[in-house]
Amino acid sequence: MSQPERRRHFLKAGSIAAAAGLVGNWMRSDAAAQAPARTSHPPVRDEYDGFSRFKPSRGNDPDSDYYLGKMIPGFRSTADGPAPLEAPDLERLPWKMVRGAKEFHLVPMAVEREFLPGYKMNVYGFNGSMPGPTIEVTQGDRVRIVVTNELPEQTTTHWHGFELPVQYDGSETLTQNPIEPGASFVYEFDVHEEGTYFYHSHVPMQEAFGSVGWFIVHPKKVFDPPVDRDFGLIFQNFFIDSNQNIADSWQMDWNWHTINGRSGPYTTPLVVKHGERVRVRIMDFSPMQHHPVHLHGHTFWVTGHEGARIPKSAWVPRNTELIGIAQATDFEFIANNPGDWMFHCHMVHHMMNHMTRQVGPRIRQDSSVDSYLANLASRPAVDAVRTDPGFATPGYPQEMKSMKMPEAMMKTIWNRREVQGMRATWPMSVMGLMTTLRVLPDDLYHRVMETDAEIPPGSIFEEIVNRFGNPADYQPAKMGGMPGMKM
Amino acid sequence: MKRSFARSKLLAAVVLVVGGTHASAQDLSIRQDSMGNSAGRHVLPPRDLPPLPEMPSGFIDNDLAAADSSPHAIASYTLDELLCLAAANNPTIRQARLQIGGETAKALQAGLYPNPVLMYVGEKINSDGTAGEFQGFEVQQRFVTAHKLQLSRLKYCQRARVSEHLAVAQQFRVSNDIQRHFYQVLAAMERVNLQSELLKTAEDGSVTSRELYNQGQTNLPGIHRANVELQQRRLALLNAQNEFAEAFRQLTSIVGCTLPMGRVEGSLRPDETIPSFETVYAGLIQDSPEVLAARAKLVADQTTLQRESVQWVPDIVVTGGPGYNFTNNDPVYNAAVQMELPIYDRNQGTILQARRDLQRQQAEIHRVELQLRERLAMAYRMYATALQHATEYERVIIPEREVAYRELLEGYRDNRVDWPDVLHAQGEYFAARLQQVDQFRDVRIQEVMIDGFLLEGGLMAAKGPTPPGHIDAVAKPR
Ligand SMILES: [Cu+2]
Repeated sequence: MSQPERRRHFLKAGSIAAAAGLVGNWMRSDAAAQAPARTSHPPVRDEYDGFSRFKPSRGNDPDSDYYLGKMIPGFRSTADGPAPLEAPDLERLPWKMVRGAKEFHLVPMAVEREFLPGYKMNVYGFNGSMPGPTIEVTQGDRVRIVVTNELPEQTTTHWHGFELPVQYDGSETLTQNPIEPGASFVYEFDVHEEGTYFYHSHVPMQEAFGSVGWFIVHPKKVFDPPVDRDFGLIFQNFFIDSNQNIADSWQMDWNWHTINGRSGPYTTPLVVKHGERVRVRIMDFSPMQHHPVHLHGHTFWVTGHEGARIPKSAWVPRNTELIGIAQATDFEFIANNPGDWMFHCHMVHHMMNHMTRQVGPRIRQDSSVDSYLANLASRPAVDAVRTDPGFATPGYPQEMKSMKMPEAMMKTIWNRREVQGMRATWPMSVMGLMTTLRVLPDDLYHRVMETDAEIPPGSIFEEIVNRFGNPADYQPAKMGGMPGMKM
Repeated sequence: MKRSFARSKLLAAVVLVVGGTHASAQDLSIRQDSMGNSAGRHVLPPRDLPPLPEMPSGFIDNDLAAADSSPHAIASYTLDELLCLAAANNPTIRQARLQIGGETAKALQAGLYPNPVLMYVGEKINSDGTAGEFQGFEVQQRFVTAHKLQLSRLKYCQRARVSEHLAVAQQFRVSNDIQRHFYQVLAAMERVNLQSELLKTAEDGSVTSRELYNQGQTNLPGIHRANVELQQRRLALLNAQNEFAEAFRQLTSIVGCTLPMGRVEGSLRPDETIPSFETVYAGLIQDSPEVLAARAKLVADQTTLQRESVQWVPDIVVTGGPGYNFTNNDPVYNAAVQMELPIYDRNQGTILQARRDLQRQQAEIHRVELQLRERLAMAYRMYATALQHATEYERVIIPEREVAYRELLEGYRDNRVDWPDVLHAQGEYFAARLQQVDQFRDVRIQEVMIDGFLLEGGLMAAKGPTPPGHIDAVAKPR
């Protein structure tokens, strides 16, 4: 049985097939929950010129429009309008139509952001959030943004990339007087662009302190091929000292990394349905670090940057895309390979939340920090004769030992629907600038995302292995057996 | 290392060859295994890390080593026990008591009435061929006038009182020294403990530097540096142990008898603070044995002046007795009365000397008072500084160091801090506690000095009542 066939078989047998509203050739009526009223649209196919939307494949011809899924449409129709942006862990900024313009209210302010459960960090943001809430408009809209400064210091807001009248550019002192604490400034302009934009404070240290947010402009004419999913991820770096929760914007080094204001494994996975066309917009708002962003299990097309969508003739297929500071890149791909896929910056030091040298009790046998904490007046003696045979190898240990995650933190991480059914040990591997792309068959997607069913760790992943992999070779994760956990 | 390894491998091969044809390929592989060179597995050569330095071994204080080896049988002493032992055994306390006895004996002697003189007298022998005009016994008695003897006795009695004050001072000298050395020993014990903690930290630092080396995060100079720090900490611990031995031996010297080396039991933390400088000083002026002795000496010197003032009053010497006149052949009597006429020597020089001596003693009282003030100023300053430090170390600095250390430990547990940072904070915490021990010790020592009339020198010979300038220049004390 081919994979799509197996999949169909499953869905027919599954009790949730009806709920998924499947018809014939997987044309779907509920492609995006947020979608407006649907209209009928031409059916999409499983396979185009050798490329399958349901299994890893390349297509028959690199010059084909369908090579690597280049022009393969999603289930959603262009007539349904653009898929709304999903920026995990961020809110959308509401607006009201006032005097012919979409009026937004944006408040620069000091905020507390929980990078990891229990790690509440002090940064700057907008409207209680870091990054700020997402502004989402359509090409051709007139926008009015009332910025009210609740910071204790002056600020201005810059609309990054927009070709607007200069007086609204938000460059402090060059184009406007700074907005005093407590004061407001109204920015108003027509948006003729489409694409991936953002807003940020134009005070450099405020930028380094987190003052940024998405400004997404959907095209008037929906891009072809249409996507089912449109994700937005803002990558940032901060330096926050040990036992500190105030970011130090003066540092030239970074030890905390966030995607939409959260560090792995607290970043929220991008959960999609098997076969969907997915767009991911990634923007690097780190003070000084570029990020080579790598997606596992798929090859994506680079379809746009923050300036504009790229003409199809110039799209580039990649696995890793280097995203520079203040740059954004749009990826598109067909999610044809089910599983939990890593999606991360490839800089080694960005794949951790904060690095410490692997020396001291955590790498010593029969030694633990708790015994030091139990009696501060007298410290335990050390065994100067180190017996760990690993030390016969120069460089040992390289694996970060004893990454500890307290019970409460694990609970919060596991409590989200998006991670249900992942392998029990997944939080140990997703750190720093890392998240996951979860490609789930419809029934599993439904179980994870649209029910309250209790889903044991590993169960969804095992099901995917059973359907698409080689179950005989599969070993489940050891429950609670986090490698290197000692202290 | 590589070369010697190769050599032993060669040796093994030779053994096999000599062993004859029975050696199989399997034997060879076993032998290679025993050298850690199992087939197909790459073995890395050992690295040339400098070894940890050996323990300091050049000189060892055997008593300390003995006390160390039998920690359970170790003796322990309280301050009260030590003070009792010192009262019985310190020789200077007995000396001081004997000084009082000596002065009392002088007083006895000075007040004794002069003995009569018995003479046989033969006068004008051979007058008219006789045996003499007078042959007989005479008795001579000096009659002391002007209460000279009473005054002399009074003077020495008053000097005995000076000796009594000086004996009290000597007791304070001994008791103060016992207490000071007691606190020195107590502090030394805590210093040894804390130096042991710091040594453990240095040992950890040395292990840590090896771990860092293995990860390419320090180099050989880093290892050498850690070795040096380790050895310096070992020496610091030895130094603390030697200080303990010194303090204990000094303590037993003041006690006056040998005691087996051991612990002392007590607290370095003072119970209460002393009053203001002027209050303490007023107490000193009133009660210091040194001041009391000087005042008593003034009284004695007044008596000396009185005594010397009557020295010129002539004693009357009466002589007389029965005899026989061989010229006239009849019993006769002789009688004479003798008296010095104070025409030239009215003892005026000595009186003047006594007067000057009295005035000198008046100044001496003032001098002692001022010297006490001077000594108190220093003791008070040292006390105040030490107490201020000890209090703030207790109240702020040690707790802050402790919290910093704990927070770094917690940070390390949460993978947010490097271990060398924790070690650094640990060292600072122990070092601050070490400083605090010294501060409390200084508080205690100055407290003892201020409470004990600033007297020290528990093995100084006990002082006598007469400083230079005294008038005792006759065989019979006067
Ligand atoms: Cu990166």
